[in-house]
Amino acid sequence: MTDRRRINGPSGGTLAPVYSKYITKDASTQIQRPVRSRAPNVLRKMFLKTGVTPSASGSAYLELEASKSTNTNTPGLASLSTSGLKLTCTVHGPRPLPKSAPFSPHIILSTHVKYAPFATRKRRGYLRDSSERDLGVHLETALRGVIIGDRWPKSGVEVIITILEGEEDQWWGDDRGRGHVTAGEWGMMSVLSGCITVASAAIADAGIDCVDVVSGGVAAVVKGQGKNASVLVLDPVPSEHEEILAAAIVAYLPGRDEITDLWVKGDIGNKELRSSSYEELADNAVQAALGSHRVLVAALKETADMKLGRS
Amino acid sequence: MASTTPQSSLSFPRETFAKLSPHPYLLAHLQPTSATSKPTRANGRSPKQFRQPHVNNGSLTHAEGSAVVRIGDTTVVCGIRGEILLASNVAGYRVDKSSVAPSTRPGYNEAKELDLLVPNIELATGCSPAFLPGQPPSTLAQSLSTRIYSLLHSSGLIDGEDLRIWYQPPDLSDQDKMDEDDSDAIEPEVKAFWTLYIDILFISLDGNPFDAAWAAVVSALRDVRLAKAYWDADREMILCEDTLSESKKLQLNGLPIAVTMLVFRAKEQEQGRDKKHWILVDPDTFEEGLCDESVTIVVDCGSKKTKILGLSKAGGTIVGKDEMRDLVDLAEQRWSQLSQLLSR
Repeated sequence: MTDRRRINGPSGGTLAPVYSKYITKDASTQIQRPVRSRAPNVLRKMFLKTGVTPSASGSAYLELEASKSTNTNTPGLASLSTSGLKLTCTVHGPRPLPKSAPFSPHIILSTHVKYAPFATRKRRGYLRDSSERDLGVHLETALRGVIIGDRWPKSGVEVIITILEGEEDQWWGDDRGRGHVTAGEWGMMSVLSGCITVASAAIADAGIDCVDVVSGGVAAVVKGQGKNASVLVLDPVPSEHEEILAAAIVAYLPGRDEITDLWVKGDIGNKELRSSSYEELADNAVQAALGSHRVLVAALKETADMKLGRS
Repeated sequence: MASTTPQSSLSFPRETFAKLSPHPYLLAHLQPTSATSKPTRANGRSPKQFRQPHVNNGSLTHAEGSAVVRIGDTTVVCGIRGEILLASNVAGYRVDKSSVAPSTRPGYNEAKELDLLVPNIELATGCSPAFLPGQPPSTLAQSLSTRIYSLLHSSGLIDGEDLRIWYQPPDLSDQDKMDEDDSDAIEPEVKAFWTLYIDILFISLDGNPFDAAWAAVVSALRDVRLAKAYWDADREMILCEDTLSESKKLQLNGLPIAVTMLVFRAKEQEQGRDKKHWILVDPDTFEEGLCDESVTIVVDCGSKKTKILGLSKAGGTIVGKDEMRDLVDLAEQRWSQLSQLLSR
């Protein structure tokens, strides 16, 4: 069924370009996987700015730097390099609910996460798919415990996130059909963590009362080299690792030492690989969240200074 | 009694005045009481002053071309992705000989016939409280997409040749060269086409969506770098090379720029033939809500003579032949300002 409200492409359907390097296996064209140059406990650099959308009550933009390839044999076209993470978030409200809505003693939070069509290697559709809805539900869970909802009865607030550039689930070179490609959508974890941090900044920018500012953090157990069968890393970039065994994302409130959302997936506590325990993984995710919390607080301070300085 | 000052109870702060009676509010700005002060709009600009544009290219990784255009508080991101349409997937497209291909027919717009340009505008990104996600595209989003689509085709901005992927079949009849005249050398054939998916997302909307969206499209198209694509006869598929040196940029015909202007009338209702009006260029959301008559001119002043590629006027009867001339002059001014940014 075609979408009659949008301009659709050729009816015959189009294919994403296939690069010859994807399918050839000779060594001369081999491209190396990007390597993690950070220490295991170092996060990527984060850029966070509020007030990008003046027409909304609150807004924020978050960017994580792309991992740089160390080898000189980098792909020439930008479309083949790995991407960072770019998110924009707008908050609309609090505003009165429509007359038809039933009475609510507290604020009704609705979240909406959407990938831009050009956000990932595979072109995204215009309608939200199940993974985007799942991200929205996780985000809502993370934020619901933070907002003091009783202060706005009969009102609603909408948090809308547009993912301009998403984290990749794996290195594109692994697409070539060889090796073990796990079905895990590991990129989603980093995306969700970024969504939580950026939404928190936008909610603070909108002036909605919260018990604390929540921030997201990711930790992962990745397959190591040599005698270290597995390594625990903070803020993993899926394309830099051959295999991710398990990952955890938390939404953490440092002021109250509370977690509002926790999502762990993968193979934890694998004896053969001497992988870390579930507790270690969650603790490290909290450490990552603390790191992004510092950036968040600095960005909000900057906003506050600007707002106070102006008026 | 003496303590109550009637003035204080009757005056509002500016924002309240603007919300309660927007039309007199803007009128009061444009009709200054003292003769010395110049008429300014509520946003502080003079009626014929455009907002300062900012353009940034190539910031998206997964797009073949991209642009971020900011005009005042309106911010647009445009990302263009190229995908491949096989000629065999096009119903009724003859691929056997280039000399009989439809593209040789005069007046044939291949990009349009085959739908090779797919522009879509997304307003439901939370860019404005008026357009929230969860609903199908709003009427404005649909009409903007259609206007961009038709302007892309009518302006002839993209050369159809840039989108074709040719294949030269090897001459296998070389060994047994029977006839000397060699009249039917094997002609190259079009195996596939690049299809450009042009997605325009509004990050922030404060009026004048069409000008910003069109500027973003043109800027992103100038940034597009298509990989070298060829037909691999063994695998029977199109393959691409990812080297930068072999990729090529699109050759655009000219640099059209859209300029929108509004007509603000002193009288809110249509009363008599009162012609007191102001031309407001590059309107913001507040002004868009107060004016009925709008003019959009698409101009290209790249060559010596100014080309008008599109002209649309809706609502109202103020702008006539003479006024339109002035508006085109304004559009030329805007072109010289914006083209410097876009042609970098």
